[in-house]
Order: sequence, then structure tokens, then C-alpha cells
Amino acid sequence: MLKYIGKRLLMFIPTILIISVLIFFIIQLPPGDYVTSYVAAMAAEGEIFTAEEIQELRVYYGLDDPWYIQYFDWMKGIITEGDFGFSFEHNKPVWDVIMERLPLTLAVSFVILVFQYAVSLPVGIYCANHQYSVGDYFWSFVGFVGTATPNFLLAIIIMYWIYVETGEVYLGLFSTEMLANGMRWEYVPEFLFRCLIPLIVIGTSGTCGIIRTVRAQMLDEQSRQYTLTARAKGCSEATITYKYCLRAALNPVVSGLSGSLRTIFSGSTVSAIVMNLQIQGPVLLAALKSQDMYLAGTIVMVQAILVVVGTLLSDIALAWLDPRIRFSERG
Amino acid sequence: MAFFKKKKIEKDESYYLASQWTLMWRKLKKHTLAKISMVILLILYLGAAFADFLAPYGLEEFSSLYKDTAPTKIYWSDEEGNSCAPYVYKLKKENIKGRDENGKLYMETVVTEDTSEKFYLTFFVEGCEYKIFGLIPGNIHLYGLVNEAGEVDRSARINIFGADRYGGCIFSRILFGAQVSLTVPFVSAAISFVLGILLGGVSGYFGGWIDNVIQRVIEVLSAIPSIPLWLALSAAIPPDISVSAMYLYITIILSFIGWTGLARVVRGKFISLRNEDFVMAARLAGVSDFKIIVKHMVPGFLSYLIVNLTLGIPGSILGETSMSYLGLGMKAPATSWGVLLQETERLADVAQCPWKMIPLIFVIVTVLAFNFLGDGMRDAADPYK
Amino acid sequence: MDNNNIIEVKDLRINIKIDEGTLTAVRGVNFEIRKGETLGLVGESGCGKSLTSKAILGINEKKCKAEGEIWFEADELGRVDLLTLNPRGKEIRSVRGKQISMIFQEPMVAFSPMYTIGNQINEATLLHITKDKKKAKEISLEVMRKVGIANAEKRYDQYPHEFSGGMLQRALIAMALVCNPKLLIADEPTTALDVTIQAQILELMKSLQKDFGMSILFITHDLGTVARMCDRVAVMYLGKIVESAPAVEIYKNPQHPYTQGLIGSVHKIGTKNQERLFSIEGTVPLALNLPAGCGFYDRCHKRIEGVCNVYDPSLVDIGEDHKIACFACTGCPNAPKNQEVTDK
Repeated sequence: MLKYIGKRLLMFIPTILIISVLIFFIIQLPPGDYVTSYVAAMAAEGEIFTAEEIQELRVYYGLDDPWYIQYFDWMKGIITEGDFGFSFEHNKPVWDVIMERLPLTLAVSFVILVFQYAVSLPVGIYCANHQYSVGDYFWSFVGFVGTATPNFLLAIIIMYWIYVETGEVYLGLFSTEMLANGMRWEYVPEFLFRCLIPLIVIGTSGTCGIIRTVRAQMLDEQSRQYTLTARAKGCSEATITYKYCLRAALNPVVSGLSGSLRTIFSGSTVSAIVMNLQIQGPVLLAALKSQDMYLAGTIVMVQAILVVVGTLLSDIALAWLDPRIRFSERG
Repeated sequence: MAFFKKKKIEKDESYYLASQWTLMWRKLKKHTLAKISMVILLILYLGAAFADFLAPYGLEEFSSLYKDTAPTKIYWSDEEGNSCAPYVYKLKKENIKGRDENGKLYMETVVTEDTSEKFYLTFFVEGCEYKIFGLIPGNIHLYGLVNEAGEVDRSARINIFGADRYGGCIFSRILFGAQVSLTVPFVSAAISFVLGILLGGVSGYFGGWIDNVIQRVIEVLSAIPSIPLWLALSAAIPPDISVSAMYLYITIILSFIGWTGLARVVRGKFISLRNEDFVMAARLAGVSDFKIIVKHMVPGFLSYLIVNLTLGIPGSILGETSMSYLGLGMKAPATSWGVLLQETERLADVAQCPWKMIPLIFVIVTVLAFNFLGDGMRDAADPYK
Repeated sequence: MDNNNIIEVKDLRINIKIDEGTLTAVRGVNFEIRKGETLGLVGESGCGKSLTSKAILGINEKKCKAEGEIWFEADELGRVDLLTLNPRGKEIRSVRGKQISMIFQEPMVAFSPMYTIGNQINEATLLHITKDKKKAKEISLEVMRKVGIANAEKRYDQYPHEFSGGMLQRALIAMALVCNPKLLIADEPTTALDVTIQAQILELMKSLQKDFGMSILFITHDLGTVARMCDRVAVMYLGKIVESAPAVEIYKNPQHPYTQGLIGSVHKIGTKNQERLFSIEGTVPLALNLPAGCGFYDRCHKRIEGVCNVYDPSLVDIGEDHKIACFACTGCPNAPKNQEVTDK
């Protein structure tokens, strides 16, 4: 088992290196750079830079080198000093900008992930055990619509609906009073309500996806010979469902972990912009638009690395869950 | 179930001889939801193809008077309440002066119906010039307004889904938007398809270091969340390019990720099929590698690939919509469903003009239809069902 | 109920709901198994023999509806019709595994790959015999040794994928016998195994039957194993028993044209090479919307038009413990009203 984990960890490093190269390459693709867009912005305000000044700025920010030199400098900074570069837009180190929102981003993503599994596992099992019942049809329908509705559109619909119902605008996780007065106990219910909206918006499609997977897997397992053996042995239906079927049905659910994480990051980017959440999505968009490349690159890279870590964790969990994988890896 | 299959064969000899595609088609036709989805998609695509004819107004016909106005009210009966041919009133601007409950004087410009003249809803009305598919010229539109004298009058407008912030007809713009939003995923699916088969095939067939490299690239691409990646790529699209170039860029960006899943499937199938008896038999019979791949291996999983592609289309629709929505894709005056949805960005706008959410219904219905169709196709392609 | 009988199946019918209608897979089956005897249930695939055996335990899929009576002399419940028990209920579960247990065709898929063999065998012990885990493990280990699993302690903690097919079948038998059942249902237990392993497993079952003193319902399509294993044989065709007799009688003196065909299609050592094996023409018809008359009518070489395709024969005694359902052999029905006529 340890050897297996070690092997996975070793494969982790080249993957991350390739990810960083690819992301850096993509991020620097737009013609021009931060200096260009900054100079253009200044020119609009009447401040004209000379060609020499522009060149000077480029050298200062290290933007005159070819992209691979810039990449190596960037990587060197990350590896040797933990320096992820400088955010031109925010005028401070990238890492500081990211840390402003990373904890909340992670918290939101984690809560959504937990929410997804907490809802979808019981519902999926229920649907499989009551195949073709009213409940099953209901959830299948919800599942289909849920997976089909793009989440940022769902955000618009839900925000509109809440606005029509209550006349209040619930944008962001914190109200203006909360931001002004700091957190107080009396704000907790409203805060929870505000959290519920992104949870539903971002979590729905993933949840519906997992419900469908769990249902299909459970049905598949229920038709296996070994459930018949267990039944013939005198096992109760609960034992058959939870000890046998669920255990086997968990495999694809676990291996879908990194996919879920990826969907959450992906979905939260646009939805966060719509709902004005204080997580990384809006920062990423602004950074991309202003060509604040180190910031944009680092945000995408952090997300990608988290997904890779998710893959690693699900691989380990799978090996722990399924004796067959454990043994094939040992040999 | 053994009984059941036997009966089928006895009853219908053609079952034996039917090709894989015929069988799939038969099973698909039994899938009600997939069938409904197919009809809906057909209507949507026809709508996009004949948008110029179906839309009462062209892409650049705005009317500032109609800015943010609700769907035009159509009257089916005259003032006395007798039913008559459907007609509408045109709008007029009115400056009103008044005092509010605190006695304060205020001034306001309101847009109201001008009931002095009726405009009748008529089919096949002359309107702006167009060329369907860039070939067939015309100026007849499915419906439009004529005044009481029976002449075409451009001052009155009929916006059945309301108007956007520039005073354009949302219905017309949905049709024109469909030309982009409905075809981008298809073109990018086609690119993904070619790339997926090519790279997956190379990976599975040659193995070795090529396989390793391609596998690593796939792993990396599928680790990066798709929307941030799309956004990053679309930020690289040079501004001020033509609509068609923008279209091309967007499709390429969307296929950037689409191929990876497909390539993985193709590779897996190649590796497993390589050792199958029928491939071995073909090889022993002296069939060339190329022919084995094209004639024996690919048909075995083609249906599977097509199903995968169909299920991938909703993702690309969503991608295009999000990119345009965030201002990184199509830009006005060119339009797509994402561009139309930009109007819903501010909640206050939506609250005042709920009809601006209508394009959203189209996005959701399309995505749902593709999902149902893909699901039906998956069931149909499964020989064990 | 005859005290010698461990189980009596009376007029068992199993209907399966499918999209096209209701398929009657088992159409009135009657048989009984005596204490300590082995009854062979023989027939082609799809004739309903597996459904019949699973109906005894009530473990058929939900869409299969069983009617009729299955009388069993249960320990706590006394004489009980198993079909009246709730298939998900406690009572039938106390019968399953403990008093009637079952072994399956494919040992490779009969165990869950997720748990050790020991865990899965022990489950039965814990359910029915003792709640004491230590004791249960000892009992399980002992049975594992008894069925010939060498190195049982080590094997106990291994997973199914570490076992060979023959070993898994032994483990499956151990699991079935751990509670010392009165009746063992063996559903083609050797079909998926190598021929040499088959012989070993059959020998094992025979010797265990002596040790445990149980009855066996042996389901197979292989007449060779029947000869080796069974005291009595019931031949099933299209959801009905067409002939039942002591094993020796069936081989020496088959009466029903279908049985004769089955026996004729078995290769016998000592026959001339040139002689072609007999084969029964045609295929089994679909049990959906069956025409009236004998199910074997279309394929029968002895059929009597106007009789066999109008009335459905039922089992008639023709000798010592020998029953047969065939008009060609027992004579035409002179009083059609007494005959069961299948609805169209």
C-alpha cells in the first residue's frame, strides 16, 4: 500500500510540471502584456508614455524576455522562495492576493463537495431500491434537469426568484452590514441563507450527476450473482444493500471525486461572477482581462493542482476500498 | 429473457440482417424522450437555418424608442370587444409631470401605446434584405406589421419576446444567436472527433513513448477545470477581429478539451480490440493494418464515440454561452445566446424586464434535449439492452 | 404431506411480466423430495428449472410472480407453505441458508469481490448458529476443512480473486453447508468448471450428503452427472415436468419422446464412430402466448394431430414411481373435460 502511494506521488510531480508549463504558455498567449494594457488605459486618461518608457517598464517587470525564460524565472521563484510572482493589477505579490480568497474558495468548494455526496448517496440508493416508483421518477427528472441546467443560468433564475419573492437582493456571501460591522451572531441565519444559494447553484449539477451514477451502479450491483448468494444465505435486505451493493457501487463514485472537484471549480468560476461571491472566480476573470498573467496563471494552477491531488486521493481511496486493485498493484 | 430474443428473430427475419445503425435507430425510436428531443432540436436548427426569414427584424435593426420594452401586446378584438384581425399599437414617448405623495414635483418620460393607429399583424411581409445561407436573396419575412392602409410601416414594431437594451427584437436575436450557439458545439464536436480518433488511435496503436506523451497531455488537460481554461484561452483571442474569425477561435478553444475524453476511449478500445480474436483472425488472413483499423476496429466502437460526442455537446454549448456571457466571446452586434444573456447580468435589469430571461429557456431546453438524446442513444447503442 | 418428504411442490406456476405481456415460465410443476434423496431436475436452458429452484427460497426477481404451494417441514415454523411467507420477511430468512441452502452455477461471481471468503462464509454462521464471533469462525473453519480446502486458516482471510474456480466452488459449498441444512439446492454446480474438477466436486457433494444426511435438489442439463448423482430424475420441458422416474429407469426405459431424445443425444462409450448423435429438431418455443396443447407438439415425432395440439397432458403413473405426461404413451384423453386445457 505504501509503495503504491509512493508510486502515485512520484507520478504527481511530472504532471504538475507539465500543467505549469501549459498554463503559463496559455496565459502569456494574448498579444501584448500588462504594460500594453496599462499604457492603453493611461493613454485614455491623457497620460502618454514614450517608447523608451514602455521598454523600461517591460524590463522592470521582466516582460521583455521570451516566454520560456519568463517561465523559468517564475518557476525558480516558486520553487526556491515560494514566490508566485507579482500581481501588476493589485500591486502586491500574487500569493498575497490569492490568500485573500483562497480559504473561502476552498471552504466553499469543500462544503459543496460534502453537500453533493451527502445528498446524492442516500437519494441514489433510495431510487435504486425503489426502481420505477414515483420517488424514483421524480428524482430522475430532477436529476436530468439538474445536470442540464448550466449553473450560472441557475444562479440567475434563483436570484431572480428570490428577488421576486422577498424583494431583497442576495448577492455575495456577506451583506454590506456584515462587511461593515464584522460578523455578529444575529447575522448567522442570513449568512447561512446566503451560503445556501451558491451551494444549490454550484452543487446541483454535480449532485444530480452522482445520483444518476449511484442509482445505475446500485441497480447493476443488485443484479449481480453475489446478491443472490447473499439472499440465499439468509441475509437481510439491508445487509445486501449496504454491505454488498453499496460497497461495490462506491468505486465509480470515489473515482469521480477529482471530476467533481473539477466541475465545482469550473462551475464556481462563472457562478461566482454572477452571484458576486468573494471567491477566486471574479479575480481570475479580472486578471485575465487585464493580462495580469502571474495572478491568472497561479489561480488556474492552484485549481489544477487541487484536482490532481483529488485524483491522488481518490486513487488511494479506491485501492483501500477494492481489494482487487490493492492486490494488482502489489504484484 | 432468452425466450424473448428468440421470438424477435422468428417474428422478424430482417432483424438478423439489419445493420448496427438500423438496430440503433429502431431502439432510439422507442425512446420517447429522445424522440421528443430530436423533434425539438430539429425545430431549433431549422429556426437557426431560416433565421433571416423567420425573424421579423434583421441583426442591425434597432429602435431606441423600444429600448427595454416588454413583449408587444397583441389585440385580438377591437374597442367594442368584437374579435377582429390581430393588431398592435405602436409606442410613443410621453413626458409627464406630476407631484408625488410628498407634494414634490417630478418629471418623467414614459413609453406608452399610441392608440391612434392600428398596425395589423400580417404574414409574409417585406422587410430588410437578406441572403439565406449567403445564397438565396430575399426580403420577405414570416410575419410583420402593416398599417391600416396595408403598407409596411417601420415605425411600429412587434417584439413578441420584448426588446433588449438597444431596442432590438429579442425573438429575432434568439434566432440569429442560435446560428452561433447551435453550430459552434457541432463544429467543435467534429474537430474533437477527428482529434480524438487520431490521437487516441496513435496512442493506442503505437504505444511506447508516443502513448506516454499523449496520455500525460490528456491527464494534464483533464486536470485543469474547463471553464477557467476556456476563459484563459479566450482571453488570448485578439480583439477587433471579424465575426467569422471569432467564431473559428471559439470552436477551436472548445475542442481544446473535448478531444481528450474521446481519445482516452479510443485508446482503450484500440488496446482491448488489438487482442481480440476477430482482429487476430483478420491479421492471420493477411489484412493490412490500416484496413484492420478502418474496417474491423473502428466500426466496433463508432456508435459509442458518437454517443459520447452527443453527450459532450451540452458542455460546449455551456462553454460558448459562458464565454460570450463574460464578454470573452462573441461581441455585439454579432450575437449568440451568451451575448443575449449578458443583459441579465444585473439583477435589477432582470427584475424590471423579466422577458430578458427568455434566451435562457432556449439554452436550457437545448441542453436538456441534447442530454436526453444522448441518453437515448447510449441506451440504443448498448447491444445488451 | 408424506412424512418421508422433505419438501412438496404443488402446481407451481411462475409468471414473468415483460413488456410484451406475461410470460408463463413455469406451468404447473409438481414434485416432492424425500429425506436423504437426490432429485435431479433436468432440462434445456430456459425450461424453468432455475426459476423453480429459486422459487423454493423465494429469491426470484420481483417481476417473477410464483403461484401454487411449496410445503416444507421447517424447524421453528412447522409445516409451512413457503410461498405464503413474505419474501423479504424474517421467517423465510430463517429458512434460507439454515434449512434450505443453495449453491450456484458460477462460483467465480457468486462471492462478492470486496470481502474475504472467511467473512462471507462466517456471515451465514453468525446469522443462523451463533452470535459469538470466535465460535463462529471455528465452525466456519471446520466446514472449510471438511469440503477439502487445504490451509483453511490462511484461505479464510483471502479474497475470492485469489481462489481458483474449483476452490471457490468448494468454498461456496462450505457456505451452504455451514448450517447443516435439510435441503441443498445445487443449480448446475459444475457447469462452469473443468471436467476433472467437476468430478471432484461431485464426489465431494456425494460424500457430504452422507455425512450431513441432507436431501439434494440437483439441477442440471447434463445427463451424465445425473446418472452419477441422482436417485430420481424429473425431466422438465417448457415449464412442465414431462417425465419423472428413478434414475436407472429413466436411462433404461425412457418413455416420453423428449426424454428419449435427450438420452439419445448423449454420446455413449462403445458406440460406433459413424453413428450420428440424435438431435431433437427445432427450438424451444416462446412461453409467451403458448398455443393450446402439449408444449412439445411442434418437435415431437409421435404427435397425434387433433389430440396433442388440443389438450395439454398431465402426469400419469405408468409404473413403479414412474410418471409421464404424454398422450402418445398413455393413450388419448377420452374425457376431455378432465384434461387441463391451456387458455389461449
